[in-house]
Amino acid sequence: MVPERIEREILIDAPLDVVWAVVTEPQHVGTWFSDSAKIDLRSGGEGTLTWREHGTVRVRVERVEPPHSFSFRWARPMGVEPAEGNSTLVEFSLSADGEGTRLRVVESGFPDLELAEAERARYAEENEQGWNLELGELREYVSKLVGASTRR
Amino acid sequence: MSRRADENDELWAAVADPTRRRLLDALLTHGEATATMLAGELPVTRQAVAKHLAVLDRAGLVEGRRQGREVRYAVRPERLDAATRWMADVAAQWDQRLAAIKRLAESSARERRHPTKTRRKGD
Repeated sequence: MVPERIEREILIDAPLDVVWAVVTEPQHVGTWFSDSAKIDLRSGGEGTLTWREHGTVRVRVERVEPPHSFSFRWARPMGVEPAEGNSTLVEFSLSADGEGTRLRVVESGFPDLELAEAERARYAEENEQGWNLELGELREYVSKLVGASTRR
Repeated sequence: MSRRADENDELWAAVADPTRRRLLDALLTHGEATATMLAGELPVTRQAVAKHLAVLDRAGLVEGRRQGREVRYAVRPERLDAATRWMADVAAQWDQRLAAIKRLAESSARERRHPTKTRRKGD
């Protein structure tokens, strides 16, 4: 089956509160995610992620439960207020693992066809940049799937 | 260029919906099926199936072949591959971001353990 959500996890050799700070504080988010960030860190709080080359994306904080849970929606296309149909939900879960921290991220709710034609074209163009990375796992899975379907 | 972007966008939206993914799965299992057949298998109406098939068709993920009064649909594997590859790229982006978070957190934790040239936290 084609995945409906992206789930990734990493083990970090740092205590929970340190990882929490990096994941949620704007000066850090503006390093690992965008070129700069503003976040009103409370449920319903608004924020922006800005890339020098691409522009600004608006986010809305959904859940803040330090130091375990943080989620937000980020909207595509650029500059639009996040809502159902134009945004995805990003959920971070942090848990202690020995002396370190296990950090898990789930991105879900990829936009449905609710956007206006023009908006969607813009959205797609903006998102096309940077999709050029490689990851073998899912591709292999699909090759298998495709193999199965062509063997009928 | 923007033609390609449009296509990617439609792929994205097409596979985002759980019902459409189940339709794709069912089509992969059967090889070919009509909207009526698919509606018999999934907890949705024939009209809903037809609507979802239209979205999948527009995204190029399925193609229909008219036979008598009905259209028989089949998956286009090469397009499905492209869709899933795209999801894989999103996953790879997250791997990069998580790696960046790890670097930042670990260097911050090291500074906390050995606060040589950095300001002390909690002052």
